[in-house]
Amino acid sequence: MAINLRTVEAETREQRLGTITQWDGSASQLAADSVATHGCGHARPGGRRLCETASPFSQASMCAEHIAVTNATIIRDSVVIQHSPIGCAASQSFTARYARDLAERRGWKPEDPHSVCSNLGEQDMVFGGVDRLAAAIREAFERHAPRVIFVATSCATGIIGDDVDGTARALEDELGIPVVTLHCEGFKSKHWSNGWDVIEHGILRKLVDRAPAKTDPDLLNVIHLGGPDVFTPLVAPLGLRVNLVMGGNTLERLAELSSAAATVTMCFVLSYLATGLEQEYGVPEIRAPLPYGLDATDAWLRDIARVTGREDRVEAVIAAERARIAPELATLREKLKGKKGFVAAGAAFAHGLIADLRELGVEVDGTFSFHHDPMTDSRDPRQDSLGHLIDTTGDVPNFTVSPDQHFQAHAALKRANPDFIVTRHTGAMASLAARMGIPVLPIFYSNDGLAYDGLLTIGRAILRTLPKKRFYADVAAHSSFPYSPAWLAETNPYAAPPERVRAEEPAC
Amino acid sequence: MLRPAKAATRTSEAEFHAAPGAVEQVRYGCALGALLSVIAIPNAVPITHCGPGCAQKQFHALSGISGYQGGEFHVPSTNIGNREVIFGGADRLDELIDATLKVMEADLFVVQTGCIPGLVGDDVENVVARWRRRGAPLVFAETTGYRGNNFTGHEIIAKAIVDQFVGPSTAPKRARRVNVWSALPYQNPFWRGDLGELKRLLEGIGLEVAILFGPASDGVAEWKRIPEAAFNLVVSPWLGLGIARHLERSYDQPFLHLPRLPIGARATRAFLAQVAAFAGIEARVVEDFAAREEREHWLYLRDFSAFYSGCTSQYRLPSQVIVAGESAYALAVAGFMVEQLGLSPGAIVLTENPPESARDGIRAAFRNLAEGVDAEVVFAQDGPTVHRLIRDHDRHGEYPIVFGSTWEAGLAREIGAPLVEIGYPATDEVVLSRSHVGWRGALTLVEHVYTTVVRASTLG
Repeated sequence: MAINLRTVEAETREQRLGTITQWDGSASQLAADSVATHGCGHARPGGRRLCETASPFSQASMCAEHIAVTNATIIRDSVVIQHSPIGCAASQSFTARYARDLAERRGWKPEDPHSVCSNLGEQDMVFGGVDRLAAAIREAFERHAPRVIFVATSCATGIIGDDVDGTARALEDELGIPVVTLHCEGFKSKHWSNGWDVIEHGILRKLVDRAPAKTDPDLLNVIHLGGPDVFTPLVAPLGLRVNLVMGGNTLERLAELSSAAATVTMCFVLSYLATGLEQEYGVPEIRAPLPYGLDATDAWLRDIARVTGREDRVEAVIAAERARIAPELATLREKLKGKKGFVAAGAAFAHGLIADLRELGVEVDGTFSFHHDPMTDSRDPRQDSLGHLIDTTGDVPNFTVSPDQHFQAHAALKRANPDFIVTRHTGAMASLAARMGIPVLPIFYSNDGLAYDGLLTIGRAILRTLPKKRFYADVAAHSSFPYSPAWLAETNPYAAPPERVRAEEPAC
Repeated sequence: MLRPAKAATRTSEAEFHAAPGAVEQVRYGCALGALLSVIAIPNAVPITHCGPGCAQKQFHALSGISGYQGGEFHVPSTNIGNREVIFGGADRLDELIDATLKVMEADLFVVQTGCIPGLVGDDVENVVARWRRRGAPLVFAETTGYRGNNFTGHEIIAKAIVDQFVGPSTAPKRARRVNVWSALPYQNPFWRGDLGELKRLLEGIGLEVAILFGPASDGVAEWKRIPEAAFNLVVSPWLGLGIARHLERSYDQPFLHLPRLPIGARATRAFLAQVAAFAGIEARVVEDFAAREEREHWLYLRDFSAFYSGCTSQYRLPSQVIVAGESAYALAVAGFMVEQLGLSPGAIVLTENPPESARDGIRAAFRNLAEGVDAEVVFAQDGPTVHRLIRDHDRHGEYPIVFGSTWEAGLAREIGAPLVEIGYPATDEVVLSRSHVGWRGALTLVEHVYTTVVRASTLG
């Protein structure tokens, strides 16, 4: 199914990719079911129809608006209007903190990004909020002279049916800068990762140069979640320059996406933009499995070299990189021997981290994936990252899909009993593990585990993390969780809520 | 028997209006954000009926990143999706409550709604009532995001718990028992330490203190005993007054309203003297307690005066106090800096969008901060507006210091003032038990302020 850029809204991941958020079983079963159900990827034995599990109990999760707004906010020279009641804009403080930290790591001037809440009240719910929106856009333009304004919708404006696109178009004409709508009502999708598609949809529709003068044969688009540039050292020896996008960009960088020689993503959760660039502008998407672990990184570099026509140089780069990291990798493997890790992250990124840990000699038999995408937008079987993980490193017996549900994470960690966990989206998982006495390696900047150096980065970080057991063990000894005794003993994340033994209650 | 005055699930006594105009650099949460007030009650758990990101955002903003106060986030939520928006979400909430009572253990569950149920018209009250009839410890508080902020939400949840959980009481009043309504949990990053110290001070003059929120509280059991208090004490310019009035009507409990959270010797003595007079405690008790507390206090300040007088320092010590923050802490901190350290009041911008009806009272509380010294306050919520008001305020010849939030970092640099983060969002402070209340808290504040001043001078 092609990406449809004619509509203002990105189609949800559930519709495009069959994304599920709840499942428990072996990774091999999940991979086989995904192929059997969606027909993308190499057929695997035992595939059945992929059935999403459900639990009547659920805990607060994240929404797509959060992701879309964060990643719009950190685009340089932008203002983001959150067209919402005040609560949605609570994210402004942590987005600003993120932006300042990011600026520091990327060598930019640290300054607060600009985001504005249209601050809707009850009257606006009754009479509509488009006037407030128009006023907010004008005010933002006067205050900050932005080069682009994003307008993010909210659950409230989605329900009352404000015509944000009409308002955006009118203001675009009036102000003479792009006004990009982000349709990211939280209730419209069951997973926050849709927020990536929403912002990437907006970039593809409005910010990419639609008619690039020529292709730059040395320019490689790299789509990442945010953080330091670990890509340039990797591909510069091939004569490629990196156009690092998402995670904070200038508009020039986004414009030149369409003139690059190829696009690569560090996580297929972000591949909407890559597939869109290939579909609309013919910029080829590198589809090799992601560069986690030595062999996968070799293959990834070879594919980049093949697509950009530099196969003559790539073997020398691979040999040099492998030789460079070999001594420390051997030391790390020695020190990590016998350790058991647990990974909690989103889909393809989780698969990558498992590959890293296994390359480091760490055992992984349990994983918590925040969602599962049975296929990617390209429908290319090479992007079946879970299948690739199983084929190259073996099965994961206990593979849980859960949108960061604390109670399920408790059961999964109890079942796995690891020496440490590696986690992204540190909401529930990090503090839970800490209070269970398990050392936590949080991955905020998700390029940490990437390619050859990523193995060293992650290995060193694990070694820094393990001694903190001394703190976490004491915290665990003085902590309790507000769960029933039956649930505290539970090791199946999708077990039915335990029935209480209590006196017969009158039906109402 | 004394009964709660009326069912109060919905309205806050203090009316709330979304402030006109867009808001940049947001300084409070929405009414649903009062789920932090529920979390602040040991053994209480909120159950949220709202969109998938609402509860998490409020928690992460108010607790996670502001002072890195932390805590565990395991709040049940319906995470409303398309189906509930189209067909209604009452059934899903019912299912969630059922599952929550099986999976979680708490003495009290507070069902809170966000924007979506308000818009689609879910009959949440009825769902909750069915569970209550079956004896489940459940209350309903309507905390619709577009109807209020976390301040008004706080009053809504407190009244809901009183009406639907504490309920009618026949327990006799205890002459020395007091319920304290003061800091807004999590919004004020120092609430845990401050409430603990406030409790210690009040116990110091012989009171039995229900502090109601935080580590120093007995939690839900303490709330159950609210009717036993002889009186309620509101220590805040306006927040909590609605609750105290409601308790006055419900349990015939009088209340004492002292707007200023006491920091430093003068304010703390005055505070305790007023409480003692209201509670019928002899003045001598306060005097004895104060004398014990102050012996060390003044020894420390005496030594600090060497630094302050310039004997050991060449720094530009602040002469004018500028505040951008909620009225309670603005009053407490400005009061101390003016009254006890001899600074002059500069721009004071109050940012929590207090109800119109409370604003005259707030203005009055800022008069006579020290003998004959008044501070003029202004109200604004939008960051650039707050900063314009500060920039435009006269500071000729003064060395200003800014007490504010993370949002004031750029402004403080611009006007050459050190910044001390005292309110949400405080992303450059790690706060555990630090308190600024009373005699001990004043010393902590002095240490923090002047360490900041020295670093601003020496580290640039």
